[in-house]
Amino acid sequence: MAIDRKHIGFSLPPFTVFIDREQLRRFVEAIGGSTDLAFAPPTFMKVIEGANGSSRAIVSALDIDLRRVMHAEQEFKYDAQIRCGDHVTVERRVIDIYDRKDGAFEFVVIESTMHNRDGVRIGRSTQRILVRNHVPGSA
Amino acid sequence: MSADLESASIGAIIAQREFGPIGREDLQRYAHASGDLNPLHVDKDFARQAGFSDVIVHGMFGMAFLGRLIEDDIVKLQLLAFRATFRKVIEIEQTIVCRARLASRVNNTAVLSLEMLGPDDAVLIDGSAIVEFLTDGSQ
Repeated sequence: MAIDRKHIGFSLPPFTVFIDREQLRRFVEAIGGSTDLAFAPPTFMKVIEGANGSSRAIVSALDIDLRRVMHAEQEFKYDAQIRCGDHVTVERRVIDIYDRKDGAFEFVVIESTMHNRDGVRIGRSTQRILVRNHVPGSA
Repeated sequence: MSADLESASIGAIIAQREFGPIGREDLQRYAHASGDLNPLHVDKDFARQAGFSDVIVHGMFGMAFLGRLIEDDIVKLQLLAFRATFRKVIEIEQTIVCRARLASRVNNTAVLSLEMLGPDDAVLIDGSAIVEFLTDGSQ
């Protein structure tokens, strides 16, 4: 089932994430990283943007079956280091939806922008997800 | 190792390391630490419904290993941008190799090309990073 192109431009209400030392420690342990918690590891930005169940909210709003979703591409741009105790405000928006192979593959591009409490941009994230429209065993 | 970035020839391997194997418990831990609770990574039945024979590794978990390679093994650098394309599913219980090559360099900025390889050298992830490095003479 095709994703409605009207969702291009869909955005979530901005939300603010507190960078909690304990959560950061658990993430660093999970990826087997160094115990230096001065700065967040580079992929922690994905955790920040995904807070508040925001990724699930976007998938639901676009009426996408989670079983058909794959993460195809991820890009981060860093403007400033993310530290424990920061408050990061996240804005997420669907910037493109397109298909390939006669609609068998659809791609959704989601961009997130993150600012700190002083309004300084700390980074941007662009995620491309693949929605597979013909899965063996599905209806 | 930053001297390597400064003097290495274009195309040279700057860092390489083995990671894994990643087991089910690692996926559980990563899922909870990252907040990415997509059952594709922790629920075998769901993974089968989605067309896979078993749970698969989060693409972001793999990208985190590339992040560790950059940040732990190449010192004295500032990461400006980091991109990953997820080419193939990362299966559980396999050892993976992460590799960074110097792709280009202008003044104190370098582009690294990144690869994550599975068994038989299959490319699971490819990507790139833009880094700024400190030369020995700089403060």
